[in-house]
Amino acid sequence: MRKKISRNSCLLFAVVTLAFVAFPMLVDTEESYLVYFFFMCFIYVALAQGWNLVAGYAGQASFGQHAFFGLGAYVMAITWKAGWTGFLDPLALVLSGAGAALLAVLVGVALLSKLRGDYFALGTLGLGEILRVVFTQGGTLTGGPVGLLLPSSSYRSLAPYYFIALGIALSTFLFVWLLMRSRVGLALVAIREDEQAAASNGIHVLKFKILAFAGGAFFSGMCGGIYGYFLFHIHPLGFFSLNWALLPVLMTVLGGIGTLLGPVLGAFVLTGVFELANIYIPEIHPIFSGLFVILVMLFLPQGIMSLGGKRIVPRLFPFLFGSSK
Amino acid sequence: MSAGSAFIQILINGVLFGSMYGVAAIGLSLIFGSMQIVFIAQGAVIVLAAYFTYWVFTLTGLEPFFCLLLCLPFFMALGWGIYAGLFHKVAAAGKNPSLLLAFGLMVLLQNLMSFVWTPNPRAINTWYTAVGLSFGPIQISFTRLMVFLISIAATGLVFLFMKKTLWGKAVRGACEDMRAASLLGISPRRVNSLTFSIGIALAGVAGVCTATTYPFDPYFGFLFSLKALIAVAFGGLGSVWGALMGGILLGLLEGVGSYLISGGWADAISYAAFLLVIMLRPQGLFGKATRAV
Repeated sequence: MRKKISRNSCLLFAVVTLAFVAFPMLVDTEESYLVYFFFMCFIYVALAQGWNLVAGYAGQASFGQHAFFGLGAYVMAITWKAGWTGFLDPLALVLSGAGAALLAVLVGVALLSKLRGDYFALGTLGLGEILRVVFTQGGTLTGGPVGLLLPSSSYRSLAPYYFIALGIALSTFLFVWLLMRSRVGLALVAIREDEQAAASNGIHVLKFKILAFAGGAFFSGMCGGIYGYFLFHIHPLGFFSLNWALLPVLMTVLGGIGTLLGPVLGAFVLTGVFELANIYIPEIHPIFSGLFVILVMLFLPQGIMSLGGKRIVPRLFPFLFGSSK
Repeated sequence: MSAGSAFIQILINGVLFGSMYGVAAIGLSLIFGSMQIVFIAQGAVIVLAAYFTYWVFTLTGLEPFFCLLLCLPFFMALGWGIYAGLFHKVAAAGKNPSLLLAFGLMVLLQNLMSFVWTPNPRAINTWYTAVGLSFGPIQISFTRLMVFLISIAATGLVFLFMKKTLWGKAVRGACEDMRAASLLGISPRRVNSLTFSIGIALAGVAGVCTATTYPFDPYFGFLFSLKALIAVAFGGLGSVWGALMGGILLGLLEGVGSYLISGGWADAISYAAFLLVIMLRPQGLFGKATRAV
């Protein structure tokens, strides 16, 4: 059943990775707007891919990814303030991810065993909103509504942020790619297609759902951590903003849900469109963004990956169709 | 004022405020029932109606409560337009696109309103805005009481429509099982247009109510949508009175929660109650368990 990864797709992956690694060496990282732009793209790629794992492959649409994003940022900030970790510390990022994954497991046991479909989506939405209130009311530990201010004098250059975000995006991509080629991936797709049939074939449905949920949460938490390092100010409204949940959803659907490259394409296209609108039409930018979303859903509801049906996209990126629908 | 009468005052305010959630929730519940779409833009439409009322009041001096009559046909047409122009096409593509379409509509409306009417909060001030009726130590604001009565009337009308007319019967049938309904000759397209018209018209009613009682700004709507969703979950999907009762219950919960614990926790309390309800009683607090979800 398992297809070999074609040489072309490996080559493509390597070339794109190398291009992104080499890019900051070709431009002035402190002057170039593109470095910041790609940094944001990488964060969105990881967030979107994480959501794609939960919703696209496992079929459990969650609208609470902002809970994990915000929690990751707070874990980073609190451990840094306590002196356990340092500035741009990989340990802090891993802890951010682990904290988010732990929450996902705890919540997942309760929500995933009980709720399906829309009810699960609404339940996770409630989770994110609860967490925002909890961190707003968290007293000195979380800094209340003002949040936590971090020593911004540690900032040296944008380059390390770029590489860390690239690393997170790449590892998310590889994780989902390899996972979906494994038995676990097969189980997840089976659960998405028909939960009862999957269960009757001996798949522990809850266990695999929680695994996907925690995996998505882990990467969202890491994104929260690195973005927190970038802003130096963690506050409940900004980091538990529903945008961190909805934009990745939008990007995944725009690119093509349940495909490996869809979230990546969607993240780059949407970040690009929003940034361009912000530069060229700043007054009506938000109106335009809303309109753009409506137009995409009207004319391209199955995403960019469906363009050209089975012709253009599959031929360009054959490996995408190995483990997806 | 004694603690007892303060508590009664809070209960009354909770009920009066919750009735507005209830009206918004009925619209959401109908749209979800027939099309399985969580119409998250409901709150933005409510704020649009509030601005509409504000605008008519400021330009012509028409009494806000009479504006309701002007608002209803306009928002019914808007609902029909939203369905025919947007959701009819996208609903075929699946659930995620529909939800994101509603999200895009919400963002568009919010920012359009912010562009046209500025993001500053607005409020309607009439001679009766500050009038209160006293019953012993209890004070009831006249506008809030009016809002409550309008909510009850709107719910009653929708209920009668659903129970007494053939169209209402078609909507109820479609909410229960769209496939079976269409096999019996009920056109999904007509039923969906109708539910959208009624749902958006109810958002119009809630908007007029909001405009007369509370200050509002273009971004106030999203919170309203979430509250209406919670009310729907409390009341159970597809039930008209359930949605109203769910809204009132939510208003009570928020009022009592902020009184007993603190205002900052009120939102968390309502979401926690919401999670408990959808996990333990997905059919709603007042519903009977009929089908698995």
